[in-house]
Formats: sequence, C-alpha cells, structure tokens
Amino acid sequence: MNEDILCIERFLAGEEEGFEALVRKYQDRVLNIVYSLIGRDRESEDIAQEVFLKVYHHLSSFRQRSQFSTWLYRIVMNTTYDFLRKRRNYTSDEGAIKNSVALLEGPREAVLTKEKAEIIRKALGSIPLKFRAAVVLKDIEGLSYIDISKVLRCSIGTVESKIYRARQLLKTQLLKSEGGAI
Amino acid sequence: MIKCAKVKRLLSRYLDKEADKADTELVESHLDNCLLCKQELSALSQVKGIIIRKQRKSLPQDYLVCRLREEIAGEKHTQGSFSWLTGMGNLAHRLIPVPVAAIALSIAFLLITSNQPVSKYSLEEHLLSGTQTTTETALALILGEQS
Ligand SMILES: [Zn+2]
Repeated sequence: MNEDILCIERFLAGEEEGFEALVRKYQDRVLNIVYSLIGRDRESEDIAQEVFLKVYHHLSSFRQRSQFSTWLYRIVMNTTYDFLRKRRNYTSDEGAIKNSVALLEGPREAVLTKEKAEIIRKALGSIPLKFRAAVVLKDIEGLSYIDISKVLRCSIGTVESKIYRARQLLKTQLLKSEGGAI
Repeated sequence: MIKCAKVKRLLSRYLDKEADKADTELVESHLDNCLLCKQELSALSQVKGIIIRKQRKSLPQDYLVCRLREEIAGEKHTQGSFSWLTGMGNLAHRLIPVPVAAIALSIAFLLITSNQPVSKYSLEEHLLSGTQTTTETALALILGEQS
C-alpha cells in the first residue's frame, strides 16, 4: 500500500518510473481480471493498456481516500464494461457452453489443462456480467467482500448474493452431472 | 428442513470465511445434520476451487511498460503539433489574445442579438457525448458556457 503511494508521489513529482513501477506491479492482476471477464487474449492486453493509460492521465486526480488498487480496479471494470457494451457481448454463445459440458463428460485423463482452461473460460462467459464481475474479483483476484463492494460500489449483501448466484450458475455449467468435476 | 433456505444463502459467505460468528455457528450446526446442504457446500467449494486454480496469464515484465511508453510518446507528439492552439508555446501565448478578443466580441454581439434560451449543457459534455457537432451547436454551447 505504502509502496503504491510512494510510486504515485514519484510520478506526480515528474518521475515516469513511479508510474512504470505501478504498471509492472499490477499488469498481471489487471490482465487476469480483464481476461476472466471477456475471455479474449489479444483484446485483454489492449484493455489492460487502456486501463493504465487512463491511470497515467488521471493519477493526479486520485485522492487517496481509497486504496490505489480499489481505484485501479474500478477503472478496470469501467473500461471492460465499455468494451463489452460496444461489443454487445455480455454473455457468450450457448453452443460453446454445450461443447464445454460435453468435454466434462469425457474421461478424466483426456481433459487436458488447455481444455480445462477453455471450459472455465466458457463457463465464466456464460454467466451474467454482474455476477461474473463479483466472482472474478473474489476468486481470481482474492479480494474481500468489503473491497469488492468498494470496487463495484454496492453493499456487502449485494456482493454476497452476486457471488452466490455466480457460483450456482457456474456449478450448473461445470458440474453438470453429479460428481462430474474437472 | 425449514433452515435449509436460510443456510443455503449463507453457504457462499461461509465458504469465503466472511460469515460472522453467529452465522458460522448456525451453518456448522446445520451441516452436522443436513446432507443436502453439505452437498451444496461441497459443490460450491469445488466451483470456487476450479476458478481459483484457473491458469493465470503473465506478461513479460516490461511488455506493457514499453507499449505504454510508445502510446504516451505518440500522444505527446500529437499534442505538440497543436501547441499553438493549446497555448503551450510562448509565441502562442502572445498571439492568443487577438483571436480571443475577436471571439469575445462576437459572443457579446450574439448574446445581444439572440433571444434563444442559453443551454447549461457544456461544450465538453456535448463532445464527450459523441453527438455530431455542427457550427451552430458548438456556438450555442459556447454561449451557454459563457453565460
Ligand atoms: Zn439443509
């Protein structure tokens, strides 16, 4: 936390290195959140770049009332929502999901790591964005409910119900039949 | 069981270790006697495990920094080309009062002659909205800002 503030202060004092240190520290976290939300490699990198570009231009308006990471994740969410809104792609196609469930029914050994990743990607893509966002912040980024409520600007109760709904929907996708785990 | 519905709503929070002491005790005592809720917890736990273990992506350390440096340098270059407009250069600073005075006079004239209601909607908001800007709308919005 203090480390982030130091970087911000260095940047505001004119040292680009302060900003670059923040990029290095958070780039993978930002990328993984974005990728988990949109499921596209190349575009995730572009969105991550756009996020940090916004940070670069608006860091002087960051008031330190919240943690830098909370502020950053809000930008991540807004930028990703904008991207999805433009693409009108809040949910992925159902055909892909049926495909993933079929894979789950195959022999356990045959499900390779890459295929597993694909199944998870599609399952995440199949649930409504509002639920996906909450579960990604929880299980991909490991945020607490209170931090998620700050990023998503909603109550802790809402965070809880979003995560619960997300997991129920994911369960339907991932564990179609009893014991059909990855 | 009557409690199941209530407990099910708490399971996700319990799993995330976000439930308070009273809720934790309620869930645990219920789980001792309810196989259905136990199965639900196990399924939710599996789902959580799958997402947590999801393969993470990783970028080379300076990959994004380099892309950003290029992007920012490009932006600065573009801004530099318009410095005469943005008032960045010394020459621009000295020349700007001339067109500004002309614009101010035009606006004053238009304000006197125009009896149209003046908009509070700013030019900046209008530009951000992405709506097409005609000379008339731009002028009307500038007038709005001046009032
Ligand atoms: Zn029960």
